Amino acid sequence: MEFRYDKHNKYHRFARGCVITVISLIALLWVWWVVSIIVQKSLVVNISPLASPQSAFAALFSLMQNGDPLEHRSLWSWVWSSLSKFFKGFILAMAIALPVGLLMGNFRLIREFLTPWVEVIRPIAPIAWAPILVIIFQATNGSIMVVFIGIFFPLLTNIVFGVQKIDPVLIDAAKTLGASDAQIFIKVLVPSTIPYLMNGIKVGLGVGWMCIVAAELYNTTLSGIGYFVKFMIDNASYDYAFAGIIIIAVLGLLTTGVAEYVSKVVSRRMGVDI
Amino acid sequence: MANSNIIIEGIKWGRDRIRGDRADELYVDIHEGETLMNIDKLRIVYRIDDKEIVAVDDFTIDIKKGELVSIIGPSGCGKTTILRCIAGLLQPTSGTIMIGNNEVRGAGSDRGMVFQDFALFPWRTVKQNVQFGMEMAGVSKEEREERAMRYIKAVGLERFAESRIHELSGGMKQRVGIARALVMHPAITLMDEPFGALDAQTRNIMQEQLVKIIQRSERTILFVTHSVDEALYLSDRVVILTKRPSTIHKIVEVPWDRPRDRTNPEFTQMRKDILAYLEDQNVMDN
Repeated sequence: MEFRYDKHNKYHRFARGCVITVISLIALLWVWWVVSIIVQKSLVVNISPLASPQSAFAALFSLMQNGDPLEHRSLWSWVWSSLSKFFKGFILAMAIALPVGLLMGNFRLIREFLTPWVEVIRPIAPIAWAPILVIIFQATNGSIMVVFIGIFFPLLTNIVFGVQKIDPVLIDAAKTLGASDAQIFIKVLVPSTIPYLMNGIKVGLGVGWMCIVAAELYNTTLSGIGYFVKFMIDNASYDYAFAGIIIIAVLGLLTTGVAEYVSKVVSRRMGVDI
Repeated sequence: MANSNIIIEGIKWGRDRIRGDRADELYVDIHEGETLMNIDKLRIVYRIDDKEIVAVDDFTIDIKKGELVSIIGPSGCGKTTILRCIAGLLQPTSGTIMIGNNEVRGAGSDRGMVFQDFALFPWRTVKQNVQFGMEMAGVSKEEREERAMRYIKAVGLERFAESRIHELSGGMKQRVGIARALVMHPAITLMDEPFGALDAQTRNIMQEQLVKIIQRSERTILFVTHSVDEALYLSDRVVILTKRPSTIHKIVEVPWDRPRDRTNPEFTQMRKDILAYLEDQNVMDN
């Protein structure tokens, strides 16, 4: 039977997307492989800092089975210490950005007062705080604070934007139905902000994941996947370092993928498209 | 009062509101045909930069309990502004609005409102939208459920009670809007061009349904429209406004029983006269 691609068939479109993605990833591995050979040839020393894909994947499998080659700690223990810091930073950012964002969005004076603070601090790369925060809060909490800063601003700006974007006629409607100011805040303002909050979470998680990995380079608690990469590089185990980088990439993809999916579902449920 | 969880509170404009469901019970002493709402010398002035624009001036009218009054006028004449003042969403520059013995000094649940662009909460289902006001008033879950379903049935949406707003057509959305306002038993229902966003055919169906609803339960309705036909089809009285600054040009009594026949020659003649006046006003504007 002859196969024809039908662009109106959603299964065909999905299959097409999958095929292209797989080809693209194979091409990426090939480019990596070629570049690693070029780097290897150009070096005087025997071990190239740019591990080849084969050695990186070999190291990855060994890492999954036997843990790391130096201390024999399991892969999960490395990953978990990053993830737990990441989630703590995220929860802290939510806990502060949500009330502050709602207040800033709702009250003009607070917004006008705090906006300069936000605009001065926000452009500073979160990771620039890492050296100071690690000293102030110690290694673990310092990393959490870096993640907090990374996630906080996307969350805050999206919430403020969401509150201001609310259709004023919805507030009018609530008033004519007898809602008090507090009820309008909780029953109208907060729900109408949720899709924007989800958008902030989506952006924030991506930034936050970059922050935790980078912050761990300054880490002196000797834990976390970011520190793992640095630890392996310091010991010239470049194949393991790249195995760590692959894990970072996959986990980053997973967190943003999940956030994107959840945000889509929530937005649809809330009847808002952004 | 039978079910009095109605509360009147506040002293400052905008903070003063009547809340609770069945706020119509505040006005049981006023009988049908007696004055329910009195608007006295309403004046609304806008300030844009340094310019003062008088939107509405010397607007005085009595609305009787149980009647449907339409406000019609040339485009941009401040019909909606008047309605927003009555709803308590906008503070008039001067003049008073009395409902029974209560002066309007802010939004409250004794005045329900139906909005032109529906103003439904998109994150709530049809039923949850209809329940919103009762939820604010602290009505029990069982009663909320029962009353919401009764009104949803009355507007013919029982199959869509659990639907989300974006799944509905424009006509269905406005039926939710009407049910959401009426379920609260407001003393007066304000309708701001409620069928203005609908196509002509849906509009006619909605007008017929509204006639049925008001015939079933006595309602006092103030209806803003820019359709003369709609005003004459629905109302007991039609208030014709002049162009800005809007004041009352004329109040027309519409004598026929409902449902009305739009092809009736007297109906057609009345429509022609009003249209001619409005066109005249619009032309003077240009």
